[in-house]
Amino acid sequence: MGTAPETIDEAFYEDLARHYSVEEIVELGAFIGFNVGFHVFFGTLDFYPMFTPDGRLVSQEESRRVYGDKPISQVSGAAAGADPEAAE
Amino acid sequence: MAVVEPLSRDDADRAGFGPMLAEAEALGVPDDLFVRIMGHVPGYAEALHDALHRSHALGDVDHSLKEIIRIRLARQAGDRYFAALRSRAAADSGLDEATIEAGSGDFEADPRFSDAEKWALRYASLMFTAPQSVDKAFYDQGKTHYTEAQIMELGSFIAFHYGMQLFMGTLNLPTGDQGS
Repeated sequence: MGTAPETIDEAFYEDLARHYSVEEIVELGAFIGFNVGFHVFFGTLDFYPMFTPDGRLVSQEESRRVYGDKPISQVSGAAAGADPEAAE
Repeated sequence: MAVVEPLSRDDADRAGFGPMLAEAEALGVPDDLFVRIMGHVPGYAEALHDALHRSHALGDVDHSLKEIIRIRLARQAGDRYFAALRSRAAADSGLDEATIEAGSGDFEADPRFSDAEKWALRYASLMFTAPQSVDKAFYDQGKTHYTEAQIMELGSFIAFHYGMQLFMGTLNLPTGDQGS
């Protein structure tokens, strides 16, 4: 949807219909479209999580140091590759 | 043929979508087809129609400018359905097809657009083609033309509409007789 929407054709939907109802397909499509749009928009706002993986409320500057530039889980954030000193 | 069959008008009325259908008919964007497709998921139908309508027709940023942006984005998304729709309110306020075409083309060199309008068109254009270039310097430039509230309004509008255009573009929907 977000990278090659032209490949989502009738055959693709026929395949999807083997697994999901029409209601579920519309729900999935709208959910994905909404998320593609908003994730790109929010990405430009340069926001980081308000809390560190161990639950501390931190500034955006500190959060940026904790989470780094790559999208990682808030739960495993510090352990997954961000600056360990910043997480202490 | 469309890959998802929309609800019939009668079924949509019976499901309680009458007010949304009336709103869709009055503005023209989205039209009743969007409501009848999203009507397969009632909770989504109300929320998404409301989000599209509020972000496009209401708010503090000029509706005609957002209509130009919306059509540019629909074309970018390859969505013939939304690209064919036209806002009646924008048309009533004087927005014509020539200006819409200009907004979808090389708007940077077009004197009919103000610096503020060019920034908004650039914002929409870059959001999904080069989001890494929409950085602090870009937003600082935007703040010389718009308040933070207006920029959030524009950003949300762009995100909502482009996301729905991506999805609707995959459904192979029939388009009306308006240009796309």
